[in-house]
Amino acid sequence: MTMTGSTKSSRTIDGNVTPWWVRYFDPSDRALAVLLLAPAAVLLAMIIVYPVCRLIYTSFFNLSLTSGLPAEFVGFENFQFMLEDPVFWQTTGNTVLITFVTVPGALVVGLALALMANLPFRRQWPVRLSLLIPWALPLSFAGLIFAWFFHSEYGVVNDVLGRFGVEPIIWFNSPQWAMAAICLTIIWKTSSFMALIILAGLQTIPRSLYEAADVDGAGRIRQFFEITLPLLKPSIVVALIFRTITALQTFDIPYMMTNGGPGTSTATLAMYIHQNTVSFLDLGYGSALAVVMFALSMCVTAVYLRMIRTKG
Amino acid sequence: MASVSFRKLGKSYGALQIVKNIDLQIADKEFVVLVGPSGCGKSTTLRMLAGLEPISSGEVVIGDRVVNDLAPRERDIAMVFQDYALYPHKTVYENMAFSLKVRGVSVEETRSRIAEAAQMLGITQLLDRRPSQLSGGQRQRVAMGRAIVRRPKVFLFDEPLSNLDAKLRGEVRTEIKKLHQQIGTTIIYVTHDQVEAMTLADRIVILRGGDIEQVGTPDEVYNQPASVFVGGFVGSPAMNFTKGRVEGQRVVLTPTDSLPLEGARHSGALADGRELVVGIRPEHFVPAVADVPRLDGQVLVVEPLGSDTLVHFRLGDATLTARMPPDVRPTPGQQMSFGVDPSKIHLFDAATERAIV
Ligand SMILES: Nc1ncnc2c1ncn2[C@@H]1O[C@H](COP(=O)(O)OP(=O)(O)OP(=O)(O)O)[C@@H](O)[C@H]1O
Ligand SMILES: [Mg+2]
Repeated sequence: MTMTGSTKSSRTIDGNVTPWWVRYFDPSDRALAVLLLAPAAVLLAMIIVYPVCRLIYTSFFNLSLTSGLPAEFVGFENFQFMLEDPVFWQTTGNTVLITFVTVPGALVVGLALALMANLPFRRQWPVRLSLLIPWALPLSFAGLIFAWFFHSEYGVVNDVLGRFGVEPIIWFNSPQWAMAAICLTIIWKTSSFMALIILAGLQTIPRSLYEAADVDGAGRIRQFFEITLPLLKPSIVVALIFRTITALQTFDIPYMMTNGGPGTSTATLAMYIHQNTVSFLDLGYGSALAVVMFALSMCVTAVYLRMIRTKG
Repeated sequence: MASVSFRKLGKSYGALQIVKNIDLQIADKEFVVLVGPSGCGKSTTLRMLAGLEPISSGEVVIGDRVVNDLAPRERDIAMVFQDYALYPHKTVYENMAFSLKVRGVSVEETRSRIAEAAQMLGITQLLDRRPSQLSGGQRQRVAMGRAIVRRPKVFLFDEPLSNLDAKLRGEVRTEIKKLHQQIGTTIIYVTHDQVEAMTLADRIVILRGGDIEQVGTPDEVYNQPASVFVGGFVGSPAMNFTKGRVEGQRVVLTPTDSLPLEGARHSGALADGRELVVGIRPEHFVPAVADVPRLDGQVLVVEPLGSDTLVHFRLGDATLTARMPPDVRPTPGQQMSFGVDPSKIHLFDAATERAIV
C-alpha cells in the first residue's frame, strides 16, 4: 500500500472502511501526538520564532522613530555601518572580555561552592539557602549593592583593602578597575547558579562509586579527577551554556554600576542595543546589533552542543 | 591471603545497636557466608570490615593486624558491591585497571593480570566496552574481575547476585564457587538467600537482629539448627513448627497425635509437662507404613511440583507441609496419615526457642 493510499482511508480487520476523521482522532494515531504538541509549538512560534524573524526583518530597514520618516529598506547597510562603528567594536570587545573572564570564574567558584554544599552537613538547608540567595537577587539589585561595595569613599572593599595598607582605589574612574569590579560582581552573582546545577549533578553520582574507589585505593584528589569531574561533565556543559549566553547578554550589572563609564569603556553590546533602540529610537540599527548578538549566542550553543554529543 | 576475625564487633546509631558484639573467627581460604533476613546487619558488618563504616566497638582483625583505624585502601581487601559500582565513564579494561594504576603497578603487569582475569571470567571480548553496554550478568563478572586483579587478602561480596534473574543467579553462583576453588582467597559473602548460603559456604553465619544466631557448616545448620529461627530460615520449603508437651516418652501435639521422643536428638530426660516447639522438615515426612510414628491431618492444598508433591495439611491449630513422592495425590479435604522419621524430629524449648540438646 502506498502512502497516499493509506492517508485516505484504511480497512479494519473485519473489512469496514474507517473514515479519515475517525482515524484522525484515533488516540492510537500519530495525529494525537501532533495534536498534543500543537499548542506548545504554536506558543513557541509566537513567542520565539516570530520575534526573531521580525528582528531579522527589521535589521534590513532604516527605521528611526525620531526621524519621522517611514521605514526604508536598506539591505545590509546597517551591518556595513556596524563594521565602521568604533562603539560597536568596543562594546562587543567588552562583552567578549566579560564572557571570557566571568564564565570560567563562575565555573571555578561555582564548582567549589557545589563541592562544599555537597559535604555531609548536619543541616542542609542553611547551606542551600545561602547558595540560593545571590541567585534569587535581581541583577540590578546586585549591581546597586556592589556599586556601593566598590564606592571609593564609603565602600567596604576599599575599607578592607585599607586595613591591609592598600591605597584606596577609585574603582569607577579607571576603565580597568571598573571592568574588574564588574567582573567580580558578575562572578559573585552567577556562581551560585553554576553551583546549583553542579550540585544537582553531584547528587546523581552514586555513593558506591566513591566507596569502590576507596577500596580500590584512590585518595580524595584522585577521586575528584577520576570520578567526580568526568561524571559532572554533562552538568558542567549545561551550566556553561546557560552562563555563556547570559554573559553575552550582560546588561544590568554594568548598567547599574558604571552605566558603561568611564566613557564607553565598560559598556556591553546589550547596553549599546538598549541605547540605540530605547534612547535613540533607532530600531533598524538596534535590530541589526541584536541580530549579531543572537548569532553569537547561537554559535556558542552549537559549540557546546557539539561538545556534549562527542562526549555521549 | 589472610584470616579474619571479629572481636566483640559492634555498631550503634545513637542508642540503637544494630550489630551486637559479634565474635567470629574466619580461617584463611575459608568461604564464609553471612546470611539473615533484611535489616539484620549483614551489610553493616561487611562494611565495617571493609572500612566503609566506622566501627562503634570491638575490633576487626585481618591477618594478624587490627585494622580498625586503617582506611579501606590500607586493608588490602576487594569488594563486589550489590549495584556493582562500576565506573560508568571508564571501559571494562579501565575499570579493572584502576586499582592497579593507583597502586603503581606497571602497565605490562596490569595488562597480563587483566588478561588472566578476563580469561577466567569469560569477558575478554568485552574489555573495550563501557558498563552501560553490558548486560547485568556481564557487569557482575566485570565487578568480580575488578576485585580479582587486585589479588587482595580478602574478597567481600555484598549480595552480588540480587540484581540478576533466577537462571543467571544460578550460573554466576557456580562461577563464584569455581573462582574460590581456583584462587583460594578468603571470601566473606553476604546474602539474604539461604540457598545461596547453603550452596556456596564452607561455613554459614546466621545473623538475626545484629546477633549471631548460629555458625556452622551447611550440614550443621541444616541438621542441627540451634533455634527455631535457624530451623525456619534454612531449608526450602521451610521447616514445620507445632507446639507440643512432654508426656512420658512422647511429645503430645494434639489430643490424638503424639510422637516418640527416643529417636529425637537430645540428651537427658525431658520433664513431664515441658512445653516444646517441635520442628519437622517437609522432606522428613515418609509414607505412613507400619512401625513408623504418624500424624493424621486433613489435607488442605496439594501442590504437584513434578519431582515431588507438596501436601499442606492441618494438624490441630497448625498447618504443616509435607514433601511426598510425586505419585501421592490426595484430594483436598480428605484425612491422611503422614509418617515421620523419628530421628529427624527437632525439639526446641517453647520459651527460649533454642534447640534442646
Ligand atoms: N544511618 C543509619 N541510621 C540508623 N539506622 C541505620 C542506618 N543505616 C542502617 N541502619 C539500620 O541498620 C540495620 C542493618 O542494616 P544493614 O544494611 O546492615 O542490613 P542488611 O542485613 O544488610 O539488610 P539487607 O538484606 O536489606 O541489605 C537496619 O535495620 C537499618 O535500618
Ligand atoms: Mg544489605
